[in-house]
Amino acid sequence: MTRSLILSRSSFGWSAALLLVLLLVPAWAGRFTIYILAFVFVMALLAMSLNLLVGHGGIYQFHHAAFYGVGAYTAGLIAAKTAWPVWVGFCAGPLMAAAAGWVIGLFCVRLNKLYFGMLQISLGSLIWIIALRWYSLTAGDDGIHGIRMPELLSGSVTIYYFLLAVVTVCLLSLYLVYKSPFGVTLRAIRDNPQRCEAVGINVRRHQLLAIIIATFFAGVAGVLFVVLEGSIFPDMLFWVLSLEILIMCLLGGWFTFFGPVVGAAIMVTLRTFVGSVTEYWTMVLGIVLILLIFFLPEGIMGINFRNWSRRRSRRAAARAAEDTDAAG
Amino acid sequence: MESYVTVSGLISQFLVGLSRAMILFIVSSGLSFILGVLRVPNVAHGSLYMIGAFVAHTLAMAAGGGAAGFWLALVLAPTAVALISLAAERLLFCHLYEREHLMLLLFTFALALILGDLTKITWGADYRSLVAPPFLQGSVMVLGTPFPRYNLFLLAVGPVVALGLWLFSNKTKVGKIARAAAVDREMVGAIGINVGRVFAFAFVLGCFLAGLGGALVSPTVSITLGMDHTIIIEAFLIVTIGGLGNMWGALAGSLIFGVSQSMGILLWPQFAIVFPYLAVVIILTLKPTGLLKSVW
Amino acid sequence: MLLVEDLHKSFEDFTAVDGANLQVRQGELVAVIGPNGAGKTTLFNLITGHLKADRGRIRFLDREINRMAAHEICRQGIARSFQIANIFHRLSVFRNVQVSVLSQKKLSRSLFRPAQTLVVEETRRILESVGLLGKQLDIAGSLSHGDKRILEIAIALGNEPQLLILDEPTAGMSPEETASTMELVKRLARDQGLTILFCEHDMDVVFDVATHIMVMQHGRTLIQGTPEEVRRNATVQDAYLGGA
Repeated sequence: MTRSLILSRSSFGWSAALLLVLLLVPAWAGRFTIYILAFVFVMALLAMSLNLLVGHGGIYQFHHAAFYGVGAYTAGLIAAKTAWPVWVGFCAGPLMAAAAGWVIGLFCVRLNKLYFGMLQISLGSLIWIIALRWYSLTAGDDGIHGIRMPELLSGSVTIYYFLLAVVTVCLLSLYLVYKSPFGVTLRAIRDNPQRCEAVGINVRRHQLLAIIIATFFAGVAGVLFVVLEGSIFPDMLFWVLSLEILIMCLLGGWFTFFGPVVGAAIMVTLRTFVGSVTEYWTMVLGIVLILLIFFLPEGIMGINFRNWSRRRSRRAAARAAEDTDAAG
Repeated sequence: MESYVTVSGLISQFLVGLSRAMILFIVSSGLSFILGVLRVPNVAHGSLYMIGAFVAHTLAMAAGGGAAGFWLALVLAPTAVALISLAAERLLFCHLYEREHLMLLLFTFALALILGDLTKITWGADYRSLVAPPFLQGSVMVLGTPFPRYNLFLLAVGPVVALGLWLFSNKTKVGKIARAAAVDREMVGAIGINVGRVFAFAFVLGCFLAGLGGALVSPTVSITLGMDHTIIIEAFLIVTIGGLGNMWGALAGSLIFGVSQSMGILLWPQFAIVFPYLAVVIILTLKPTGLLKSVW
Repeated sequence: MLLVEDLHKSFEDFTAVDGANLQVRQGELVAVIGPNGAGKTTLFNLITGHLKADRGRIRFLDREINRMAAHEICRQGIARSFQIANIFHRLSVFRNVQVSVLSQKKLSRSLFRPAQTLVVEETRRILESVGLLGKQLDIAGSLSHGDKRILEIAIALGNEPQLLILDEPTAGMSPEETASTMELVKRLARDQGLTILFCEHDMDVVFDVATHIMVMQHGRTLIQGTPEEVRRNATVQDAYLGGA
């Protein structure tokens, strides 16, 4: 099996080039740029994990940040409150997130679309409320700051490379999932769940598996945030963040694989910029979302794809679609 | 701890839960109504509730805090909220009816974000509180325990709103059309009714109820940013356990939610909020689509 | 092979199926006919588990399938097409069929193998047998109506069914498309030894293709027999053929 079978040649080229650039960034960039980029990695992974559900699975996971928070809190609390090695927390974070995703998913997958979304927001918010109220454990609204990290992970450049490595591995895994029979089936379920049942697919079980995978990677993103910031706080589980990553997916393009990464990069940059001008970030977020809904419902990567198709013959475009799976 | 839980304590806590349930019902019935007709969970519902509370506070204060000011606020605050929602609907939302459902939903998300920050800009991040008008202040003795008059007032308002909604949707032409649109919108369109107008109407009415809830709750809580999040989560859960779009389901859900929370305070004050969730989990395990029949 | 006995199903305010009986033997091509609203589609939905019967029995290969979920029934060897083109619109034609082949081979939950290398031959063979191989890279949503209906059948074939249920396979098709589709159905039955149960409005098609016909009216089975028996039956002539 050649490499190009898994990754089409053009997207492989782009990814390799991007990775190379990112590897070289610390050589010339300042601390702030490195920090922002590292934060983009975390958000990109989080948005990608969400897009597996929303974009590819058609599953309305509206409160995905809850699992990001579970991953972060698990890792952070183990590091701050126990004498166990930090690595234990790093492994436990994603597992706890996946477990929470599984439990909440069990209830939600029995319901269809919007019902699912509403229940998911509510149950996800329960996690937020617990993190907020369980003061003795989580320090409530204040959160916990200055969480110690192992010697190995000190210095912003080291952290940058650590995050880059983990995120690359995770995105590669997600890409394999995306290209796997499971990924294909998931997209089929998005398009037509009823038909899927009629060809013998247990729709709910597939959705649940997708949720477990996605929440696992959300947990990984949470752990990475703790590595980067050394803090945990309840806003990480707040639904505004969920909405923010949903917008990243929408902005980048739901139906594309790399769309959420692009969306995450844009949103983090925007947030950094807007944050320095005004404190009303959520309002800007709302306006961005309305603009997207009205003018760019397929996202940036979606646009690229459409222009591309127009330039080539229909058949070639379809082949490209098969290749990059931009259309499924 | 245990010794404080007396029979009269239980009763008064139960009544507190009931009056809380009335607020929850008014808000979630509005949500349920929009959900039934437009099939969109209005995420901005909580923000409109919060705005209702802020406007009520401002109006009542401007009118001098007396009884007249209170009544004025009770009428004008929901109206103001309805006007805001009407503007949002006519300017933006109505252009999305033909689009995918997800887009409608995301729009209400966006609206919630924008309204949240607009509230912050207008009223700031301070806590405010409103005093009930004199004749609703103080307590009366109910079964041997003092019970706030204002809560009694809420207990009276809830059924009135329920009755009004029932009369509206069963006895008026608009209401019947809205109910028919909830069940089969193609049919309503086919017999020559302007579906867009029905949608607009349902949306504005639902939002009016959110504003009314906010105005009614304002003398009982501290009015502050963030009250939108709690209520929207609660209202979502209530309509989910009640059955989507079902008015009586919203009532049943509100009662379960309000009472289980107020009883939970007796058991475990810090995590009282967990009890309604437990109730929700139990109900949804037994009946995944809610207690009563959903309209779709 | 398939035996339906005294099946009942009512919705809130009306009874859709009210005592349906049906027998399908190995290798037969059975048509269900009846006026609109006779309960044909409901009957199919009951058989394939998309609806649950109130009363009655459905046996397939000597197994009770009444209580099974749709995806379990499919695993027993019943595949179906739907009345409206029920396909995966955003996926390519190839993927549409591959999804059902993957499901059949129990590979749909396989995570770390590229789908591009799996069940390619099987999928192509099915596409070839229905004549869609040339369009395998097209996005399914962009196909013509006739091709979408054929794709539906192809998706059903991916399950290697023993019994194929087609709900009005030629609805909305031009006369030429109808003819070629029914040719295809006949060929599939002959070449692959498929047993087929279908419903259809066009009586010429039915009497041309079917080996057995079941007539439904008001949710009830009037008669089941060979085309000749059905043609001769007085009740049917009054109720249906005569009227038409």
